[in-house]
Amino acid sequence: MRLVSRLLSSACVLTLAAVLGCSSGSPSGVTGANMGSAGSGIAGSGGAAGGDSVAALVCQPDLRPTSPLSLLTRVQYDATIADLLGDTSQPSQTFPPENQVEGFNNNTEVHIANPLLVEQFMDAAEGIAGRAVAANLTTLAPCAGTSVAEQTACGASFVTAFGKRAFRRPLLTDEALAFNTLFAGMVASRGYSVAVELTIEAMLQSPQFLYRVDAARAATPETGAVILDPYQMASRLSYFLTGTMPDDALFAAADAAQLASADEIEMQARRLLETPKARSMVRDFNEQWLRLDQLAGLARNPPDATTDVKDIGADYEESLQQFLDHVYWDKGDLSSLFLSPDMYVNARLAGVFGVDAPASGFAQVSTAPGQVGLLTQPALMAMLAHSDQSGPVQRGVFVREQILCIPVPPPPPNFNPVAPDPDPSLTTRERFKVHTVSPACSGCHQLIDGTGFGFENYDQLGRYRTQENGLPVDASGEMIGTGETALDGTFNGAAELSQRIAVSPRAQNCLATNWFRYAMGRVETPADSCSVLDVQKKFVTSGGQFKELLVALTLTDAFRYRPAVPEDM
Amino acid sequence: MRVRKNPDLTRRNFLRAAGGAAVALPLLSSLRAGAAAETFPKRLVLMYTPNGVIPDSWWPTNATSETAFDLNTIHAPLAAFKDRLLFLSGVDLTITSSGPGGLHQKGIGGLFTGQQLQSGDLFVDGCGQTAGWANGISVDQQVAKTLAVGTPITSLELGVRATENDVQGRIAYAGPGAPLPPMNNPSDVFTRLFSGFGQNSDEVAELQARRRSVLDTVQSQFKSISARVSTEDQQKLNAHVSLVRDLESRMAATSNGSAACVAPAVPAALDPTSEDDMPTIAALHLDMLATAFACDLTRVASFQISTSLNHIRYPWLNSLGEGHALSHEGPSDPDAHMELVTRQTWHAQMLANFLTRLSQIPEGSGTVLDNTLVLWGNEVSQGDTHSHLNMPFLMAGGGWYFRTGRYVQYQSASHNDLLVSVLNAMGDNATTFGQADTCHGPLANLV
Repeated sequence: MRLVSRLLSSACVLTLAAVLGCSSGSPSGVTGANMGSAGSGIAGSGGAAGGDSVAALVCQPDLRPTSPLSLLTRVQYDATIADLLGDTSQPSQTFPPENQVEGFNNNTEVHIANPLLVEQFMDAAEGIAGRAVAANLTTLAPCAGTSVAEQTACGASFVTAFGKRAFRRPLLTDEALAFNTLFAGMVASRGYSVAVELTIEAMLQSPQFLYRVDAARAATPETGAVILDPYQMASRLSYFLTGTMPDDALFAAADAAQLASADEIEMQARRLLETPKARSMVRDFNEQWLRLDQLAGLARNPPDATTDVKDIGADYEESLQQFLDHVYWDKGDLSSLFLSPDMYVNARLAGVFGVDAPASGFAQVSTAPGQVGLLTQPALMAMLAHSDQSGPVQRGVFVREQILCIPVPPPPPNFNPVAPDPDPSLTTRERFKVHTVSPACSGCHQLIDGTGFGFENYDQLGRYRTQENGLPVDASGEMIGTGETALDGTFNGAAELSQRIAVSPRAQNCLATNWFRYAMGRVETPADSCSVLDVQKKFVTSGGQFKELLVALTLTDAFRYRPAVPEDM
Repeated sequence: MRVRKNPDLTRRNFLRAAGGAAVALPLLSSLRAGAAAETFPKRLVLMYTPNGVIPDSWWPTNATSETAFDLNTIHAPLAAFKDRLLFLSGVDLTITSSGPGGLHQKGIGGLFTGQQLQSGDLFVDGCGQTAGWANGISVDQQVAKTLAVGTPITSLELGVRATENDVQGRIAYAGPGAPLPPMNNPSDVFTRLFSGFGQNSDEVAELQARRRSVLDTVQSQFKSISARVSTEDQQKLNAHVSLVRDLESRMAATSNGSAACVAPAVPAALDPTSEDDMPTIAALHLDMLATAFACDLTRVASFQISTSLNHIRYPWLNSLGEGHALSHEGPSDPDAHMELVTRQTWHAQMLANFLTRLSQIPEGSGTVLDNTLVLWGNEVSQGDTHSHLNMPFLMAGGGWYFRTGRYVQYQSASHNDLLVSVLNAMGDNATTFGQADTCHGPLANLV
């Protein structure tokens, strides 16, 4: 008894939203009027292809994209410290986690300072500076002089050189003055190494380090857009494509006043995409897009007495990340994302999945039954499940929201959901039928469950099954109201659904939109429509090549321009 | 924050020399030297547990008067503190009868702020409803504005697997749209509170001097950048630099701790995302919080067990249902009912353990518990209805102000009024808190 209503109520009160909220609305009404309204800035930005029910994205060139201050995330902080000082201790481990919007933790609207974080910035800066001076003083801030005057002069050189790398641009006169003053005072009272240490501490707590400052006052129709200066562009490129500060080549390009033309930007973008750090960045994106943070602490009841699945979430995540590495860097296109049948296992997962264990680490398994592509990956199937059951509702919501950018329609105001208490003597799918046979539930749940039922071949650990409780699994499903004729309709199993999604313009545009959110650190606004459309178009034209998508993002107006400041006029 | 704790160590050295007498000893600052020895600071703790309660097992039974009642199953662990408890029935989250957001979202956002959520589409709940953050300061932070002046740490936010980093995971707010993240890892809490114990006063003074120089320079950089960015970005930078200033100002803080101010052992490495580690983490958090009070490192705290809409299991209680879903069916399903009562009884046990710990820390002629108020709340009254009526509010302690040991029954009172009463208990004479139109002044019949 309990189990059934628990499953029913699992995705908040999706069920119950349906009970009272969706009974009056037809599917087409739902996908039309509400499309894009929940959590996204542009109606229909997930995909404007085909279908009258989906609002089309319209380029509005008169609107100026914003360019807000962007606080480093923990991942960016650690990578930057590693590049700046060779300190790979990942000092941000104790920082509070970023607030999230749409799964992204680099959202400039909610990733903002709080007391604990500011305190941690200080503690981290002290630790980093102390280690840097203890280990590397002579290379970091060489100085032959011994007098206060000579060492103060060395300090000025250090401030200029280190400051440029820490702030990712040459220091302004007043900035250099402030740090030189600090340095001089400390040399006189406490000596050279302390002066270097405290200068580092101060720089690492300054806004020029902690934030990416490339914007200025908010755009108005009167103040136009201004192209980023070379150093700002270098930071944009490096943080987007490599998740860290600019490398030497980017600094050199900025020093040479390059990075203003599309050709120069494209050349740098293509170069950066060949570096190992680009791979880390893609992992960071995928973690956020797919909300893999849910895998930490994954708790699934073991399938039998001998299989240990305690704290196995990290193994699942690495398995999925290796699959995504393979798709992005060995295959390179969207079709492969949804249709590469590879699975990656370590010894532990091999035990769960009943395949041969690799000698060490992870290994590819190309013949695992039921593996179709991203959507059937063990990590996703296990994440989108209950502790003891598969999760048709979670899977349906995931495919529609994350993969196709179709938001769940909201219920009407003031509904007070009461969970039904249905018959317990049914299989998973049969239990969920109450959603779609009840007229009250069916309005919404045929949208969600119709998608999710297609994954019934995968249990709560992501293992492929053709039988459940001795009964054959029925994995037929139906896509409704996607706005795409070729995507809508009945299907049988995850393989057929994946085939459709692999060629769906909606899925393609949805991924491009998610990449836009990651690249810009914000949800798109109407002012970004031209940029988003441009990226979507280039992605399609390239045949779904990821590298072309990422390069296209760096060439958008949203990426290259900032609103003008009065002093620009 | 290492240096801020160092005065404490120095003080403890002094205490040893003085024969262990528990006296208030301001060391680095003489400002508080005149404080009367018997005047002890008041403390406030907000406690939050999610997804509603089982009312039939929560509310006191056999009540024949305000003071004659029996504790229900869930509160059995609190029996020893019955005369310190104050049950309040008939208090509603009136604030949430309108405004954006899903019921869990606006429940948790409004619980301690008395505010609705901001409109916007930052956060989407499982039902597709959208909202922003809560639109105001929470009562603990309001209290901290006066109570925490001069303490090393303004407030301590502690979480047990509170790993949802959006509106449904936040209970404390520094202001509108400014949530405070909880610390989920005991070893981070330990480092923050106690790692500085052991430095001598010369080292402390030197570290403070260095920090002042650094932070002064840092502040000059905020000023420089602020002049060149948009108004919105200026607000962001201003908020940040004010936190830097606060950090600097608290460096001079001293603590008036008691002899019970002894740093605990370094906690073992734990996984804050693991369900299995939850009981250990809860115990460590509350133990360190009690010590932080004994050391007067802070006077304001919040403690949350998970977040609204969570799907966690409580394996150490052999309760393997998924939290939120379980809560949907509680009353109608005997098994679910029992699981939920077991979990909620465990929550009460955590509170009881904390109260016990506080009651063992001498303070003047009494204990720290005599000077502490705990307000325990939930974002919905029961999981199957998501109702915001008759919310399960329980206060513990606060005996210097409230008449405790009672079960007070109201009729459709607004919880904003309860928050005003809390402010009043903590020495803030406010007559309103949160959204004005749902606030009518302090609750009657509490003092």
